[in-house]
Amino acid sequence: MYTFQKIRSFLFYVSVFLFFAGLPFILTFALGYKFNTHSLKFVKTGLIFVKTQPVGAKIYLNGKLITEKSPASMQELLPGTYKVTLELAQHYPWKADVEVEAGKVSRVDKVILFPMRPNLEQLNQEKFSLFRIDIEKKLIYYLDQDKKVVYRSSLDANNFEDIASLPDKFAQITGWEISPDKRKFFIFNQHQINVIFFDNQGDYEYPVSPVFLEYPQDKINDVFWHSDSYHLVVMTDKNIQVIESRQGALPINLVELNKGGPEAFYDTKEDVLYFSDSQRSIDGSFYNNLYKLELSANLYLLERLITQPFGQGKEAQKEQVGE
Amino acid sequence: MNKALFYKRALEIIPGGLSWGIIIVLIALSFLHPVSSAIIIISFDFYWIIRTVYLTTLLVMAHHRLFRQRNEDWLTRCQDLSADLGFSQLYQVVIFPVYNEGLEVLRPSLAALSAIRYPKDKLIVVMAFEERNIHAHDNALILEEEFSSRFGAYLSTFHPDGLPGESRTKGANATWSAKAARKFLDKRKIAYEQVVISCFDADTCVDKEYFGCLSYHFLTSEKKHQASYQPMPVYNNNIWQAPSFARLVEISSSFCQMIESMRLEKFVTFSSHSMSFKTLVEIDYWPTNMISDDSVIYWKGYLHYNGDYRVIPLYVTVSLDVAYSSNIWRTMVVQYKQKRRWAWGVENFPFVVKGFMANKNIPLINKIRRSFHLLESHVTWAVWAVILVVIGPLPIFFGGAFFSQMAIAYNLPKITGLLFKFTLYTSLTWIFLSWTILPPRPKGISWLKHVFLILEWIFVPFIILIIGSTPAIDAQTRLMLGRYMEFNPTLKGNKVL
Repeated sequence: MYTFQKIRSFLFYVSVFLFFAGLPFILTFALGYKFNTHSLKFVKTGLIFVKTQPVGAKIYLNGKLITEKSPASMQELLPGTYKVTLELAQHYPWKADVEVEAGKVSRVDKVILFPMRPNLEQLNQEKFSLFRIDIEKKLIYYLDQDKKVVYRSSLDANNFEDIASLPDKFAQITGWEISPDKRKFFIFNQHQINVIFFDNQGDYEYPVSPVFLEYPQDKINDVFWHSDSYHLVVMTDKNIQVIESRQGALPINLVELNKGGPEAFYDTKEDVLYFSDSQRSIDGSFYNNLYKLELSANLYLLERLITQPFGQGKEAQKEQVGE
Repeated sequence: MNKALFYKRALEIIPGGLSWGIIIVLIALSFLHPVSSAIIIISFDFYWIIRTVYLTTLLVMAHHRLFRQRNEDWLTRCQDLSADLGFSQLYQVVIFPVYNEGLEVLRPSLAALSAIRYPKDKLIVVMAFEERNIHAHDNALILEEEFSSRFGAYLSTFHPDGLPGESRTKGANATWSAKAARKFLDKRKIAYEQVVISCFDADTCVDKEYFGCLSYHFLTSEKKHQASYQPMPVYNNNIWQAPSFARLVEISSSFCQMIESMRLEKFVTFSSHSMSFKTLVEIDYWPTNMISDDSVIYWKGYLHYNGDYRVIPLYVTVSLDVAYSSNIWRTMVVQYKQKRRWAWGVENFPFVVKGFMANKNIPLINKIRRSFHLLESHVTWAVWAVILVVIGPLPIFFGGAFFSQMAIAYNLPKITGLLFKFTLYTSLTWIFLSWTILPPRPKGISWLKHVFLILEWIFVPFIILIIGSTPAIDAQTRLMLGRYMEFNPTLKGNKVL
């Protein structure tokens, strides 16, 4: 028992000694101090923390390779500017001058090392003019104006299939968009809109033959799908209209515009059109206003609009959302 | 408020006040001055690394002693002692205070006692029932019929409920039964000096060599009446059946007790223990109104003998039940309440300090040292897990942008990570040692359980979070607020409760 107690006492005093002897070093290290053996003084240092994506990059500090690879920290650095170079095989190197301050961490932790040969992959197998990506269904839609065809594939470029034909007489497509229900799409140019159903997507409600909508007097700037996948919101150089995507439909004029080609954004989720239009001030100069036009699914709204004569109620319908 | 009450309340407030003070100050510093907070946390982390290594080394030493003495033939050693030492005249009184434990708990304890290697005619067994337990008399009769013939004497006592000055505590029951044993000894004209008394929890199954070892140490120790004798408690009775959570907690408790056995200057009686009957009578038995009677009895001896009283560790095991219940949630509650009752040992602090103030014969340095040890152990218990698990990360989260740019903010998690690595390495030692103290695997339990017993140690951080510090904070807060705990024994049994 006595021997055990002697050993225990020895261990206890060793532990106490280790604590009091080690603690100053631990704390000075933690606070960023370094003991200078030449001057026999503590010097406050800083550190650089390097983290890259991908990890494992070689780190050069002032041209000297350090043993650790990223992520790594270089501690006990005297304050000053350091040249940091990060190198990873087959990736573009990264270089920067990093300022180190006493007692502080200089973080170089948002470095992305881009590959020299990026993972570039060609997805299309044939020529195309325009494309659309459906992230939700992981599909790519290609539109080929020369062959007058729309085809699609999966996101990883498999399962190619033709899904629609474009009309022969439709010239110079300005834009296109697939309907929210993914059953059809429109193409448009300056004076025409053409709604085309994908193959085998028609049902009793809608015709499967293309729907042509003509705008001989106006210039079409942009077209959007309403969330019901039936109405189109058309922005011309003169007004904003809604029109049903059926043959012979008549447009409803919602807003008359002052400016020829306003900017616009359509929120399909909420059925809200944001657009800018110009207005003349008292001194004769023009300035822009931003408007919000709500078109939410709301047939009653459309019905109400239909009952109003064209061009009326512009002031009532424009809602100013910003100066 | 009179002066005595004022001192009593002040002493009751000190441990909880200190623990809460440390926690609140550290949390506040994390927001107000994160650098200071980080320095304190790093210092504490470093202290904890050294402490963990130190205590694990003590554990290895205690384990070594336990295993070295495992196969000792203590009875033969006692018989080889000089006749002057009086082994042949030595009697053993064994008290089992029964709260409401049933026969399924009491039978194995008595069966283990009847299987010991020791002259049974020298054994006086006292089954100490509570009168208020409606099954007490029936159980007493059944056990008497089964076991009374196996021992030198067998008594059943029934402690009346609500005696003046008593609380419903184990100590009150043990004292009542010890007084009954005293009458029995007087009747038989057995001198108290020739009697060693052991007070065992109801689920205690003694090792076959326990009383040989106890007698040997009692007879050969200097100032044998000025000592308590403490076996190593292990929770092996139902360890193979207990859920991981409860098993790990109890293994850790056993290890803590083994570590304490190496620190004699701090060693205090815990749970099942033995002592001279003469001393027990002289110090007026166990306290009848305190929950932590097992440790208070040591302090009563310490005060009575003016500091010349000690606990002698016996490197022989007594096996107890792991406390668990029918599902993990109830098991956590059971374990939490048990640990809170243990942590209620903080009530010793006002008792001891008051005793020190009244006793002028104990050297001041001893008073200061023992008071400090007592206070430090309870405060550390209440704050260590909170500092390591809860407060440790606070400066990083709430230190703000300026602090996050500082070198210490970068180094704090690195040093904390180092602490956990060290804890992992020491855990490997604990895993190995826990394996060596396991009882043989019962039939019907797969060998895969051995693998599981090792893998379950990954739950340790979770256990630390649940019952690392919170029971101690709970107990100290109750004492601080004067909301005194009532004795609430841990439900135990070999079967799931």
